[in-house]
Amino acid sequence: MSDGTVDIDEHEDVWVFIEEHDGEVANVSWELLSEAQSLVEQKEGEDLVALVIGEDVDEVADEALARGADRVLVADDPIFEPYRADPYGEQFRHMVEQRKPDIVLIGGTTTGRDFAGRVAVPAYAGLTADCTEIDIGPDGHLQARRPAFGGDVLATIKCEQHRPQMATIRPGVFEAAAADGEGDGETVDADVVVDEDETLTEVLEREVGETADITDADRIVAAGGGVEGDLGPVRELAEALDAELAASRKAVDEGWVEHARQVGQTGKTVRPDLYVAVGISGAVQHLEGMNDSATVVAINNDPNAPIFENADYGIVGDLFEVCPELAAAFDDADEPQEVIA
Amino acid sequence: MTESWTVAVGVKQVPDADDVSIDPDTGTLNRSDAAAVLNPPDQNALESALELKDQVDARVVAFSMGPPGATDVLETAIAMGCDDALLVSDRAFAGSDTWPTSLTLAETADYVDADVVICGEETTDSSTGQVPPGIAAHKGWAQLTYVEDLEPRPEDGQLVAKRDIEGGHERVAADLPVVVAVGYGENEPRPAPLHRKIYAENDFDPEVLDADDLGIDKDIVGLPASPTKVGGQDTVEPVEREQKQVDGVDELADAIVEEVGV
Repeated sequence: MSDGTVDIDEHEDVWVFIEEHDGEVANVSWELLSEAQSLVEQKEGEDLVALVIGEDVDEVADEALARGADRVLVADDPIFEPYRADPYGEQFRHMVEQRKPDIVLIGGTTTGRDFAGRVAVPAYAGLTADCTEIDIGPDGHLQARRPAFGGDVLATIKCEQHRPQMATIRPGVFEAAAADGEGDGETVDADVVVDEDETLTEVLEREVGETADITDADRIVAAGGGVEGDLGPVRELAEALDAELAASRKAVDEGWVEHARQVGQTGKTVRPDLYVAVGISGAVQHLEGMNDSATVVAINNDPNAPIFENADYGIVGDLFEVCPELAAAFDDADEPQEVIA
Repeated sequence: MTESWTVAVGVKQVPDADDVSIDPDTGTLNRSDAAAVLNPPDQNALESALELKDQVDARVVAFSMGPPGATDVLETAIAMGCDDALLVSDRAFAGSDTWPTSLTLAETADYVDADVVICGEETTDSSTGQVPPGIAAHKGWAQLTYVEDLEPRPEDGQLVAKRDIEGGHERVAADLPVVVAVGYGENEPRPAPLHRKIYAENDFDPEVLDADDLGIDKDIVGLPASPTKVGGQDTVEPVEREQKQVDGVDELADAIVEEVGV
């Protein structure tokens, strides 16, 4: 472990942790790789480095180069598939000590947050959780901004005397760049320093289905506590509008909708053209995840629900009546012509 | 390993999220008049710890880091069924970010010889979720985060967890000692029986430990030892919306067509 004294000038480059499972990359990793370009541009002579840890990850490494990484740092070994905090943490510590990055960005997924919390400690890094804005300040330090207290306040967190400066970033906040670069950066193989005999954990089974990704959706219909367990009307409206289903925390906590579709502080950030909030009261934690929507429509039977102040169009009414009627309006209108998005 | 497990469960006093106001003049959070409550996700941690005690021979010790009077959350833990509770309190800890906080809690877990440390997913006042992995990292212990369910295997000295991962689940076996972060809302916290409440309120006083008791060098905790600092905070301006109330579904449908061309 470091004694805490760090020569900041020794540390350079911006690393992005590319989270992959069986070769499938979490989209937030590509979002960060894209956003990190703007950080690197402010850091003269420094590189954008994609950190790829896994097994048989050549294709992931190539894609990272095509998406703009100057360099890919690869730790490729069966010990890294599937993800486990202890071997990943030990490997990361070694790479940080050897290569001294200035900034490390990690997607704020369950795996990303598990990883970040583990690796920041031995690196004696400053770690900021769940950021929604990142920038380089006039003093050259990373300015990591994160919502605090349910989103009423945006706090700026800095790390002036320690390196690396680490942050987990909420999925969906930034847009991923296309994989159309020349991809002429270099791939560097890191020494694998961990051994299966020394691991503390064993993954007994792992089941991953189709993960819903609402962060890319152009249209979203979101269900809140008002649906009272009956998702029929919301699904019907979503289908009529060719929209993705999403939900408030209440609807997820009740088990009506899967967590991957949750919008808000402890869920995803979305930025669709159309966001229809159905039976959602509009808690600030929820608004935080959908504030970037172009047009917001609210359907709620409570005229005093805060969602109406945060919507472009509001209708006070029973969602069990409004949703089917609205769906029917679009089904009728749709029939003869193509939908133009 | 067949001897009794020590399960240490971390709890925190936080300002009631529904009671925190923003000072209209300064734009800063007014936390001082908010009521102090048990961090809601910690109720799930307490329930998981007590479920382990129901399944294996275990002693459950609640611990909290906070100001000298922050004992109400420990009383709640005792009332729910914890065997003992400790308050970790020292001026030297003030201003700690997640690095020294997890160090302090790791030393506390060591102090009670914990086999299993159980925490909530995150706290509602800082919502980083970084402390449970930090505790594990400081000690080089295994970690299990976003846990839905626990299955003790005392004969193997292991704890198996069902974890929430993106788009699915996994089951992971971890060697002891292990740090667990229970997913928020994953279980139904048990109510405290009346006789336990009375005992906790009237007859129980938690042991109070300071940095010296835990063998923690005061130079490596608190604000000076924290890698991150708050560099300022801005009030988030609400997004301007049209706020048009429409009277009927047809009008709403027209508006949607107009805006997004569905």
